[in-house]
Amino acid sequence: MHTTDYLIAGSSHAALEAINAIRMHDGDGSITVVTRDPHRPYSPTVLPYVVSGRSTPERVFLRDDDFFTANKVDYRSGCALAGLDPAAHQARLADGSTIGYRKLLLATGASPIVPPIPGIERVDYHVLRTLDDATRLRAAMAASKNAVVLGAGLVGMHAAENLVKAGASVTIVEMSKQLTSGYFDEVAAGMIEQAFLGNGAKIRTGHRVVGLEPSADGATLKLDNGDTIPTDLLLVAVGVRPELGYLDGSGIATERGILVDDTMRTSAEDVWSAGDCAQARGFFTGTPVMNAILPDATLQGRIAGMAMAEDPGLKPYAGGLPLNTYHFFGRHAISVGSAAVPEGGRAQVRFDAASGRYLRAVFDRDERLTGIFGVNEFFDAGVMAQLILRRTDLGPLRERFFAQPLATGRELMSQLWR
Amino acid sequence: MNTTTLDTAPTTEKRPAPQLMLCEGNEAAALGVALARPDMVAVYPITPQTSLVEKLAKLIADGRMDADIVDAEGEHSVLSVLQGGALAGARTYTATCGPGLAFMFEPYFRTSGMRLPLVMTIVTRDGITPQSVWGGHQDAMTVREAGWIQMYCETVQEVLDTTVMAFRLAEHHDVMLPVNVCLDGNYLSYGTSRIEMPDQAEVDDFMGHKDVNWHVALDPLRPMAVDPLTGGSGGNGPETFVRYRRGQCAGMKNALHVITEMHEDWARRFGEAHRFAPLVEEYRLDDAEYAIMTLGSMTGAAKDAVDEARAAGEKVGLIKIKTFSPFPVEALQHALRGVRALGVVDRSVNFRWNCGPMFQETLGVLYRLGRQVPAQSFIGGLAGADLTVTTFHRVIDETRALLERAPSDEPVWLNAKD
Amino acid sequence: MGQAYSTIAFDPAKCDGCGKCMTACASVKFDSTDTTRSLIQIVRSGGARIEPPRPGEFELALCRQCADPKCVTVCPAGALGKNGTTGVIDWDASKCVDCLLCTIGCTYAGIALDEHSGRVSKCDTCEGKPACVPACPTGALRHITTARIYNEVGSWEDLFAPGLAGCQGCNTELLMRHALRRVGPDTVLATPPGCVPGMGSVGFNGTTGTKVPVFHPLLTNTASMLAGVKRQYERVGRKVTAMAIAGDGGASDVGFQSLSGAAERGERILFMVVDNEGYMNTGMQRSSCTPYGAWTSTTPIGAHGRGKTQDAKNLPMIMVNHRCEYVATASTAYMEDLYEKLDKALAASERGFAYLHVYSPCTTGWRFQSALNIEVARKAVESNFVTLWEYTPEAGLHFTRPVDKPLPVADYLKAMGRFRHLSPEQVEHIQNKVAENLRFVRKIAEQADEQ
Repeated sequence: MHTTDYLIAGSSHAALEAINAIRMHDGDGSITVVTRDPHRPYSPTVLPYVVSGRSTPERVFLRDDDFFTANKVDYRSGCALAGLDPAAHQARLADGSTIGYRKLLLATGASPIVPPIPGIERVDYHVLRTLDDATRLRAAMAASKNAVVLGAGLVGMHAAENLVKAGASVTIVEMSKQLTSGYFDEVAAGMIEQAFLGNGAKIRTGHRVVGLEPSADGATLKLDNGDTIPTDLLLVAVGVRPELGYLDGSGIATERGILVDDTMRTSAEDVWSAGDCAQARGFFTGTPVMNAILPDATLQGRIAGMAMAEDPGLKPYAGGLPLNTYHFFGRHAISVGSAAVPEGGRAQVRFDAASGRYLRAVFDRDERLTGIFGVNEFFDAGVMAQLILRRTDLGPLRERFFAQPLATGRELMSQLWR
Repeated sequence: MNTTTLDTAPTTEKRPAPQLMLCEGNEAAALGVALARPDMVAVYPITPQTSLVEKLAKLIADGRMDADIVDAEGEHSVLSVLQGGALAGARTYTATCGPGLAFMFEPYFRTSGMRLPLVMTIVTRDGITPQSVWGGHQDAMTVREAGWIQMYCETVQEVLDTTVMAFRLAEHHDVMLPVNVCLDGNYLSYGTSRIEMPDQAEVDDFMGHKDVNWHVALDPLRPMAVDPLTGGSGGNGPETFVRYRRGQCAGMKNALHVITEMHEDWARRFGEAHRFAPLVEEYRLDDAEYAIMTLGSMTGAAKDAVDEARAAGEKVGLIKIKTFSPFPVEALQHALRGVRALGVVDRSVNFRWNCGPMFQETLGVLYRLGRQVPAQSFIGGLAGADLTVTTFHRVIDETRALLERAPSDEPVWLNAKD
Repeated sequence: MGQAYSTIAFDPAKCDGCGKCMTACASVKFDSTDTTRSLIQIVRSGGARIEPPRPGEFELALCRQCADPKCVTVCPAGALGKNGTTGVIDWDASKCVDCLLCTIGCTYAGIALDEHSGRVSKCDTCEGKPACVPACPTGALRHITTARIYNEVGSWEDLFAPGLAGCQGCNTELLMRHALRRVGPDTVLATPPGCVPGMGSVGFNGTTGTKVPVFHPLLTNTASMLAGVKRQYERVGRKVTAMAIAGDGGASDVGFQSLSGAAERGERILFMVVDNEGYMNTGMQRSSCTPYGAWTSTTPIGAHGRGKTQDAKNLPMIMVNHRCEYVATASTAYMEDLYEKLDKALAASERGFAYLHVYSPCTTGWRFQSALNIEVARKAVESNFVTLWEYTPEAGLHFTRPVDKPLPVADYLKAMGRFRHLSPEQVEHIQNKVAENLRFVRKIAEQADEQ
């Protein structure tokens, strides 16, 4: 049986950061990476750009072989985790072999949700989570005349824009009342919607798909109001969730993801989890949330790696903060923090129709920033995130901050954590 | 290691005809230095040494001598430069006298402690004050307790020969001590005589292999700390210091037989004109009832007086000290074996005992003889005063008188008015 | 061991918000006069807005070229990376997919969306020659290139033994370790009596404290002994550096003759004086380098004593008058300057006499806290009490770190207990002496400029 000091399952951002963190503190301990994906590491976030042609499959890799050689990492791709025995410190792989480990990181990410729509098993559809998905979607996109994107999250919207630009007639079907729900507020979503409509896309928000039938070209969707939509390319992008079948029988606590504490440790000895598969404390809620975004994956991976290597410099997780950026039709939207107005707090909004600039900032009762959202606005998202995480009292600066978030944010940054 | 041994004397047939020349003592010293092929000479002028270093400078300027000449800014630096040179492996030479010797006393004392085989001519000069530039042995006598070997010369030829031998003596591995060749200011320094130049190739053979800093070096190829702080009452401090001092004394003691063997080798190689008593010369002493003792150039006049007294039937002999430091106790003991009265002529003053320094040293030897020998101290020739045959007749007379009566506690001041 | 890199440093106390850095950056990087495009951004701070703005009211947003760059870790496209050679976070425009996640990762506003190009932009330090720095008229921006020293020195062997017995916070130990590391193992080192051997560099009772051949010359003959060593190695054709680390007493007082003689003869040695302004090793006695008014144990304070009554001898200027191959003053508060001078002195010592005079505050003898050594050293320079310059016969004398707006000398004097007793008249005397010294050295420097 192969044994290793550090076993890392997964190969994207959380796993890569964990490797860095381990190697910062432990130069010698053996590291083995097992990943279901057949490729070298890449980011799911880059995949829409592979679809659009902005990037190419051979240029997306985040690490080359030299990295693993230099860091003495045994990197095994195409090697999925199948089962776990935390008591024995052993992991079983899909090929039937077993690896013994001293410490284990589960950074297995998430997979697209396939909604239980009657007939879905009989039609051909696309998802977008792996590089191979992206390559396949890009190939199909060229021939598509009539595309449907199911789900108006950022992955779906991004793909929809690509399809529009590729010349297809595109329909976006979304169950909730607005696009990009959970990422951007109503006003911003309205701006996004206008941009898509202006570019010829059709938007069917507030509708569920109740049935799918194969057709000559591809498939026909049936909506809850009885409308039907034919399509030659169906992209299912209603969200992601971790696939945790390999934990069956392991006793490791899960809810929607793998439950972890503020050092990313799971309920089992010597097992940590980070990234899209982990369910860690939310910054605002204090309860475990799914915050499947790239910046959080890197942070969690870092913390997990430090904890595994017993690095005394470890600072516990401050809680997950929603952070998103989004480009659409030449405009950009940024959201930092929570859109919900806390009790006793307030939201401040300005919108300039002429420039298309929109800004919404949310403050709590103590004049501390809890969220900021902008379309075509200029502010430093990283600085904003720090202001929120540091619970900075904006007090007398609030008006100026709202008027000039870029300059005021930089000024505060320079004073507070330069 | 010196490669020459006593039984490898060249045959007379191979010896080239000696080169004869006229020169003064200072020039002879310079020629002797050239024969010894030093790497470095450091010079600073002072009467009556000046013509010696001028001659060296000229020899080097003319290409007749291959040495680095350092025109230092004072005698203190003269000796210091040579110490540095010796520590880097150089054979080194300088000359000084009187105030120059006094000025260099700080590095002078140190030279023997570091066991550096420097050779330095003292063209002897009386001590100031009273201010004087004239000859006398006070300078060399004043530094008796500084661990240098001191040999006094009688003739110009002896100056030349002793100067060459001094290098081999200093560098002898059983000795490793600095050597002063003392020649009398005025009388020897400027006195002109015929000399026989030793053959350079034969001198080279006599000198053997140069190995100056085998025991102590400043060399990046053999890094060591030279002269770390030593002593104190704790740890191995006291015994470390004592080990060094005892080593100096052992080197001094070894020097006695090395000097003897070396003089024998020298005479064997270069002939009878180059034979000098190494430690103590016994002159017409075999049946002498009493004797006079001399040092340096005064000996010539003294020998004439002894010859005349002998011719007149006096049973007087002469003892000349060549090697003053180390003091040749056994050789002097041998010379004094039949002597029943002794007159010792010093060219300097021992202020502590109110006598001459050589007289005071001799008292110790007389004690070791185990019998009472009446002895009188004579002090003469101070500050350039002449010691003539007449002077020595007075010395002989007063010494003979000691066979009849007790010596005076007071020295006899030979050049006094009274 | 890690790699250090050059960096652009910002001193908010000196920034008056003129914006010339931004003008320069926008011009060089975008050929634009729009300062909002500048990759360095000066922002005015809040609080009372009194016009005109004063220094201290401005803040900086600029890429820090982080060692642990978050922008790189959050980039999904591999378009950002830390350049191991330059230390710069390189942005690969061809790989960037314009997702803006890097702007979320960076907490310093160091990478931001450029409105004109629609892409992110960030400082690349202009390939090691940042245009903003020379544009800054107040010295608020400085390009700190001392990383070079760290990187190079880090790989050189420390040639002194660990655990030398210097006082806590000893500047001399810092200096000698750095200096010998630079000069290297093919060196013969002379350390005359004083703090340097006193703390164990030549060792005790048969041990050694140094990995190069080292010796304990007399206080009086350091330069002469070294000259002999060097000459012999030259004679036999070996390249060996002859170096002295001597105190000010041994150089300016009793050892001056041999120093002057060796300099006049052009002996090829590197003579470094560690000037702690007195005989500190023997218990803080006055030397001719002790400044006016200073307490020492032989210029004590009492009913009649108010410290030293004479001004210090300006030894380095005296060495200039020997027309040495190289003469310079230096301070450990300015290590880059010191290293440059050490390099030049080392090279010059192969041609002639090289003299390096390093001001070296003494925690014990000057009476200040051991943690404040570099601060005291810096204040000495910032008040012009000490001036940093170098001299060669060809180029004459030039200031290497001129101080145009000096601190009052009282700020420097106050940092030390040895000047605590000074009367206002004594402080004035020292201030006048500082001015006079400066005038004198400036005059020489101006002559050099006229050439």
